[in-house]
Amino acid sequence: MDDDLPTDFQVIVVGTGMVESIVAAACSRIGKNVLHLDLSDHYGGLWASYNFDGLQKFIKEVNSDPKRDLQVYNLCEKWYIEKESPEAKDGGDENKTDDSKAEPAKKTWSQSDFTAEYRKFNIDMTPKLLFSRGPLVELLISSNIARYAEFRCVTRVLTWLNNRLMPVPCSRADVFATEAVTTVEKRMLMKMLTSIVGYNEDEMNNEFKDWNDKTFQDYLKHKGLTPNLIHYVLFAIAGGNNNMPCLEGVKECKKFLMSLGRYGNTPFLWPMYGSGELPQCFCRLCAVFGGVYCLNRPIDKVGTKTVDEGKTVVTIESKAKTLNCDHLVIGINECPKELISPEPAESCDISKAVFITNGSIMASEKEPLSLLRFPPLADDDKAVTVLEVGPATGSCPKGLFVVYFIASKSKDAETDLKPYAERIFDMSGGDAESDKPKCLWSLFYNVKDTSAPVSSVVEGVHVCSGPDAGLDFDRAVEQAEQIFKKICPGEEFLPRAPDPEEIVFEDDVTHGPEFQRDHDDDEPKE
Amino acid sequence: MAKTYDYLFKLLLIGDSGVGKTSILFRFSEDAFNISFISTIGIDFKIRTIDLDGKKVKLQIWDTAGQERFRTITTAYYRGSMGIMLVYDVTNEKSFENIKNWIRNIEENASADVEKMILGNKCDLDSKRQVSKERGEQLAIEYQIKFVETSAKDSLNVEYAFYTLARDIKAKMEKKQEASNPPGGRSGAHQLKANEPQRKPTSWLSRCSVL
Repeated sequence: MDDDLPTDFQVIVVGTGMVESIVAAACSRIGKNVLHLDLSDHYGGLWASYNFDGLQKFIKEVNSDPKRDLQVYNLCEKWYIEKESPEAKDGGDENKTDDSKAEPAKKTWSQSDFTAEYRKFNIDMTPKLLFSRGPLVELLISSNIARYAEFRCVTRVLTWLNNRLMPVPCSRADVFATEAVTTVEKRMLMKMLTSIVGYNEDEMNNEFKDWNDKTFQDYLKHKGLTPNLIHYVLFAIAGGNNNMPCLEGVKECKKFLMSLGRYGNTPFLWPMYGSGELPQCFCRLCAVFGGVYCLNRPIDKVGTKTVDEGKTVVTIESKAKTLNCDHLVIGINECPKELISPEPAESCDISKAVFITNGSIMASEKEPLSLLRFPPLADDDKAVTVLEVGPATGSCPKGLFVVYFIASKSKDAETDLKPYAERIFDMSGGDAESDKPKCLWSLFYNVKDTSAPVSSVVEGVHVCSGPDAGLDFDRAVEQAEQIFKKICPGEEFLPRAPDPEEIVFEDDVTHGPEFQRDHDDDEPKE
Repeated sequence: MAKTYDYLFKLLLIGDSGVGKTSILFRFSEDAFNISFISTIGIDFKIRTIDLDGKKVKLQIWDTAGQERFRTITTAYYRGSMGIMLVYDVTNEKSFENIKNWIRNIEENASADVEKMILGNKCDLDSKRQVSKERGEQLAIEYQIKFVETSAKDSLNVEYAFYTLARDIKAKMEKKQEASNPPGGRSGAHQLKANEPQRKPTSWLSRCSVL
């Protein structure tokens, strides 16, 4: 049905991951003629969110497609619950949850319940948070793409300290409210954090010039912080480990602190329905400005040809059709290997896991949205980042939580992450009472880290990196802007798109007399 | 700022390319019909506030931005939509047959209780008609969805269609509110705005449209 796809474009973008989608939007926004393709039938590539059915298909696809296996491997799915729940036989449809009714405290879930409610799941392959004052939030607002997305505040930051979960005090109010640290420690912590926020770039480099070869931990010890405080600052606020270089730790702390106080108690935002929505928001803007979209469109070959006046165009063979463009923007996973130069250096891959549980890792009055930063449990372990999202984020049906684990790979995802999961979940699969939430389903997998920037041997071909192991989208935004600047030098990167009310048509538009029009914001205000 | 309406409904237009979705949108929001509007470039959504039983209802109507062309509507497009206009062209058999595919697409991506309505557009072009009104009605009965033939060009039934859809959403919403009083599960999510002072947590904009 896509036979009537036009063949000539200024920019063709292949892959609908985060970097590709931002570049597509930016090019379309300033008037470039853009075609945006994806090989698969959905948006997002490795950045996608899936409902439960889509996730099952993805798992099957990875297990059966050896080529895909290069990006995602060691996939291991496991159920901890029965196929059918015993009461389902006579209960019939009543087991289905209804959003408008309060769910009984602890329902016994079965695999068939997951299948029946598959649409209520949005499970991310690349879950990421936004810093409230980070580059992506600023870009979403300045470009007006924010109108396509909704966010929830992360309600708390947790850490694992003295063998239990502890909330991390991250605002001034939190620091003073917490009972976990003494008054003297509170003063010490506030002084330390206040000074970090106060440094500008120069002052920071000057202050820390003697700390270049030392760790952040050394610095915190030097500042006389107590072990508890060092734990909070190093692991929970800076998201670091014992070897984190000093300056990096200071910068991470500053980033955390600078994003406080804008939207909620913590510096973080989580996109409603998952991180996989965000590339789609950029795609929408691209389409609004005339970008053409075509999914399920495999490409067979990328080449070049010289046309009039010695100008070179990039050509793509796809479904027996040749598509031509001045610039090809292509995801690293889609890009033919012979075009990439140099071969990306071997990097540390990523270990990931997703768990579906029947309760939060730490009960709270209102539905929590938690970031847990697990310090390494063993000496040669890596720190593990945990994100727990609930039904209010559109990630799962009521009564469940989706919990993501992310770490640098040491051995394989399951070996790396399971010991951490067992600290906070009951993974026995039994009915026995436990004070920990029960793990109902789990998926471990490794992802190749393709986030290092690479370039192409062909002029006019721009290669986009894959997702990194980091907490935020900052590297994707930065790279997208760099690629855009190469394609469109001197042009503004995603200038603000007008609101619909601001678009005035020159044609003589006659308004119906009987209805009052208003021009206020499209959002309710109080 | 005082709120200038009682309800905000997000509505979507869905259907094959060229069936007149953008024309319907312009007829309803601007009371205009012009062939030069047909390219959907730059149009996200249009807004019109109507009066229903003494309540001000603000309709935010989203266009597909051409992403329907190769069936590549983003799942994000469907988020939070409360009503969907399924549009076909009475002079184009294929667009009528595809309504079933669009309904499947909606079932997959939109909220389960989204209100739907089928519109057979371009009914002014009687000489070119390929789909009879009876077949439209039959399809609507099959899916238990309301149906009307429209002409964006002649301004026929466009008002009626949006008023009907809005009324049905409002009725459903009020019924729900009577039945149970919990605030919508999604309240508390918010959009990011440039000029928000965002100091006190109490001043966050709620995404809930009924306040």
